[in-house]
Amino acid sequence: MSAGVARPRLARELHPGAWWAWAIGLAAAATFTTNPLLLLLLGAVVCAVVMACRGDGVWARAFRFYLALGVVIVITRTLFRVVLGSGTAGHVLLDLPEIPLPDWAAGISLLGPVTREALLAGLYDGMRLGMIVVAVGAANALANPKRLMKSLPPALYEIGTALVVAVTVLPQLADSAKRVRAAQELRGGPPGRIRGLRRFLVPVLEDAFERSLALAAGMDTRGYGRPGAAPPAQRRLTGAVMLTGLLGVCAGVYGFLDGTSPWWLGMPMMGAGIAVALAGFVLAGRRVVRSRYRADRWRPPEVLIALSGVASGAVAWWVAQEQVQVANPPVAEMPQVSLAALVACLLGLVPLLAAPPPLTRESRELESVVESDEDVAEERLRS
Amino acid sequence: MIELREVRFGYDDRTILGGIDLRIDEGELMLLAGPTGVGKSTLLGVVAGLVPGYTGGVLRGDVLLDGVSVIEQPARERAHAIGYVGQNPAAWFVTDTVEEELAYGMEQLGLPPETMRRRVEETLDLLGIADLRHRDLRTLSGGQQQRVAIGAVLTMHPRLLVLDEPTSALDPTAAEDVLATITRLVHDLGLSVLVAEHRLERVVPFADRMCLLRSDGTVLVDEPAAVLADSPIAPPLVELGRLAGWQPLPLSVRDARRRTSSLRSALDRGPAHSPERVPGPTEVEAAELVVAHGRRVVLRGVSLTLHAGRVTALMGRNGSGKSTLLWTLQGRLARTSGRLAVGGADPHQLKREQRRAHAGMVPQTAADLLYLETVAEECAAADQSADAPAGRCAGLLARMAPGIDPATHPRDLSEGQRLALVVAIVLTARPPVLLLDEPTRGLDYAAKTALAAVLAELAELGHAVLLATHDVEFVARVADDVVVLAEGEVVSAGPVRRVVAESPAFAPQVMKVLGPDWLRVDEVASALEAAG
Amino acid sequence: MSAQLRSRSVAALPVGRRTALVLGVASLAGLMMLCWPLLLEPGEGSRLDPPFLFLLLLPLVLVVVLAEMSEGGMDARVLAILGVLAAINGVLRGISAGTAGLELVFFLLILSARVFGAGFGFVLGAMSLFVSALVTAGVGPWLPFQMLVAGWVGLGAGLLPKRVAGRAEIWMLCAYGVVSAFAYGIFMNLSGWPFLLGVEVPGHEQTQLSYVAGAPVLENLHRFGAYVLLTSMGWDLGRAITNAAAIALLGPSILVTLRRASRRAVIVRR
Repeated sequence: MSAGVARPRLARELHPGAWWAWAIGLAAAATFTTNPLLLLLLGAVVCAVVMACRGDGVWARAFRFYLALGVVIVITRTLFRVVLGSGTAGHVLLDLPEIPLPDWAAGISLLGPVTREALLAGLYDGMRLGMIVVAVGAANALANPKRLMKSLPPALYEIGTALVVAVTVLPQLADSAKRVRAAQELRGGPPGRIRGLRRFLVPVLEDAFERSLALAAGMDTRGYGRPGAAPPAQRRLTGAVMLTGLLGVCAGVYGFLDGTSPWWLGMPMMGAGIAVALAGFVLAGRRVVRSRYRADRWRPPEVLIALSGVASGAVAWWVAQEQVQVANPPVAEMPQVSLAALVACLLGLVPLLAAPPPLTRESRELESVVESDEDVAEERLRS
Repeated sequence: MIELREVRFGYDDRTILGGIDLRIDEGELMLLAGPTGVGKSTLLGVVAGLVPGYTGGVLRGDVLLDGVSVIEQPARERAHAIGYVGQNPAAWFVTDTVEEELAYGMEQLGLPPETMRRRVEETLDLLGIADLRHRDLRTLSGGQQQRVAIGAVLTMHPRLLVLDEPTSALDPTAAEDVLATITRLVHDLGLSVLVAEHRLERVVPFADRMCLLRSDGTVLVDEPAAVLADSPIAPPLVELGRLAGWQPLPLSVRDARRRTSSLRSALDRGPAHSPERVPGPTEVEAAELVVAHGRRVVLRGVSLTLHAGRVTALMGRNGSGKSTLLWTLQGRLARTSGRLAVGGADPHQLKREQRRAHAGMVPQTAADLLYLETVAEECAAADQSADAPAGRCAGLLARMAPGIDPATHPRDLSEGQRLALVVAIVLTARPPVLLLDEPTRGLDYAAKTALAAVLAELAELGHAVLLATHDVEFVARVADDVVVLAEGEVVSAGPVRRVVAESPAFAPQVMKVLGPDWLRVDEVASALEAAG
Repeated sequence: MSAQLRSRSVAALPVGRRTALVLGVASLAGLMMLCWPLLLEPGEGSRLDPPFLFLLLLPLVLVVVLAEMSEGGMDARVLAILGVLAAINGVLRGISAGTAGLELVFFLLILSARVFGAGFGFVLGAMSLFVSALVTAGVGPWLPFQMLVAGWVGLGAGLLPKRVAGRAEIWMLCAYGVVSAFAYGIFMNLSGWPFLLGVEVPGHEQTQLSYVAGAPVLENLHRFGAYVLLTSMGWDLGRAITNAAAIALLGPSILVTLRRASRRAVIVRR
């Protein structure tokens, strides 16, 4: 290809891990702030990236659901504040009558005057929660879940395979259910919904188990579960490391929760525990001897996208530490925005530039056109 | 390369394999035959390493791979050398696209990615499935699935391929494709193949040697012609050869045709016309039926008449609309247009209970009807729901498949017994019309003979029977009329003799050898007897 | 040479001493992450956010536990049955989610754990929720908590006394179904409570039922109890009743089916 022509970017699916890292980074950024302007901006960034980068898989359509759920969360959070509010001092917007509840219900009262401050505080908190859900929803919409399961780390090989089996079995279950429903119509039987359920469930289950046994045989004869070369000593080491790590996590969580414990028992302990546990996890993966066919690789776009998420979270953390007024604006005043906070949000837009075009029906067709062009060229060369 | 020495296998109460010695050499195609239930699958499982791990039971003897004992190794440790393909490939798929399925075994062996990629491409070409590489496995036809299943073990480069009834669920054309693939593997790659098959007529011509598993658990291994000389199960061609006293026995239609001259004089007069079953009153009258699933039109104007006392066979390749037609006659599926009367009523307008009294149906997977824990309970439930006197269902069952312990779990029955149970349950409501969807799947010659007798008896009693099947020889034996469907249209219909004579794909072996007058071996036998 | 094999009812995923220890420690960590509002001793500080950190930490803990459970390798048959049951559970949850309170998630989980053992029950519980989340697009921050608690439900069902049989077994499983349905509801509420109602510290008022950081455990429990009663009691009740009814009516025949499958799936070499 000549140097002057821009290389066309091939449509492909990114490594699912990259999208999850990006989304978790943005969700983390959201947890560090209750500033509604920043949260709205983050939401807009996430939506823009999802719109531009999602393919046409079934999972991609789920994003609408997460958006709706985010809105529901904001509304619920605010409504709780109104219904169960406890008369925060401030500007009264709406003076609702108070309804006291009996003593057993903690002696609380419902409704009461609604103040602007209470409403805003509920709204801010709700937006933060909603934004986390939307970010996770974005990862769901962008990352192909089947590929995610296939690129699980080796220590989760068995669980991952079982998950693949579960997802593969789902459509077969649907077929089986349809068949059994039709077949049961061919014979009479006791009426009633629960008994009817039995007539339906037992054949479906039997069918599923027969299938699962055949599947197991199929896996077995193709070498599934050939024992790896983990010597007992290494297995003991793996177990010890995992256990130590989890104990560390336990102690860390305790230290984190108990404000009176020494500082090192909190976050540092938790971090160390996680590190050790993950080391055990990696060790456990060593026993699995298998390779991957056309594995998803981490290429520059993946790395860039994952890093952008991490960076966004890191900058937001810095803002929360250094610019408290920006990160958590008081409800009485107009929220402010700083340059660093803007950067934290806009870092989330990196995928728009870095990601290759998504795999959709059109891009697939385009690729096949390219392929057939190659065929034509080859034929010309031959003749 | 693989050798079985004195292999014995059994459960506490019965012996399945009783001392088997068997050697399979490099590049050999070995055919394993025997009645269903004698343990063909068990023997294959012993070779592959699935027995006793997946079946329980006690295994003795030794299995040698290149002189090294592997009997203690489970299937996964033999995977690199022995490729095993089970009966129902669709149930064996682990992944969901063709390419991934081909790679799965290699991933387990831990082969480097470049090797995997190369072998996948080679295998796609070798099996002629390159255009299917991205397809969802469930959307493939039966023949394509079978080829993918074979490919999925071939990528591991095994030296022995073990196949358990690879064509039992396929229509004749797809079966030919799969068998052609297997012979190509033997001839081009020098692969050894051990294949179990109950429709011997298809594989015998290609087999180097044949292993007959007898019901006492012993084997007879020799050239196919020698084994078949007095085998209890034999394709019609061999039976014909035995009858005519041909030596060696013919294994292909071509062999047999070249020797028919010796029979010609005895058979001039044609078959003695056996008394035909007289058609009774019309039970089913369908005219210009159009049925669609969603937007896809499956039946395009099918007309069909079924008479009481006649057995009609419905033939056609997979996907030609046979099942849809049966479900429409049963009443579950609605039609877009056309007229339909079953026993004088439109079945789709009837309530479910009334449908059962008009037309009984046995679906493709008969076991879907069973949900109770013992055969006795199933029979009692059938009697109760049909308002029949207690014991009617059990009586029907005893007539069709005598000797079933009523306390057995229905799922533990053999394929043939289970089918008999379902037919009995359906017949308990005494429907004048009986519809069967592929009832011969997985049945051996003996079970088919029993089923043929049952169908003949039902016809005598005045039922109208319609059965969908691929099994040409079975049709020649039981059917009075044949309807052939293609693309949702009737391409030919009429008495069996005329219809199968018109289309070579549906002609039974005897007809291919002796000409359009002859359908069955017993006709030839009686003609020879009459001629002295 | 001979290989003699016999099948009997044993745990499909045997839990060794080490695995039990890992599971125990991880469950303790998980319990603390669920119950933190009742444990927290806040230090000095003006405002307190719910620990979002836990949302990230819990999946890691779960992943380590699941890796440990399958560390010894998993038999192909057990794996296939695990996959199939998780899929069926996922579907049951999917189809019953729309009908108010009629959740059928746990009934098959409890029955399967009873037949296949505690370790299998834990993994199945966690996986079922994951699969159903994949199917119904429910992967969210709440998922790790659901997986953990559902895992406990399966674990508990597998630990019920083995000798109980016949009608008594069904009654026991029904009772367990009711208990576990409520326990699941309460734990899920506990995980969502501080997030949905906010955390109250002096100077930052929230609602009257919000969690008050640093207040006596009893007061917080009282507030939480009222929150549960007001918001989700109906759901939990519905779930408990459907679970128990399904176990009572379908349990016997499904136990037979599962036991048949387990006889073929779990084989001990000796």
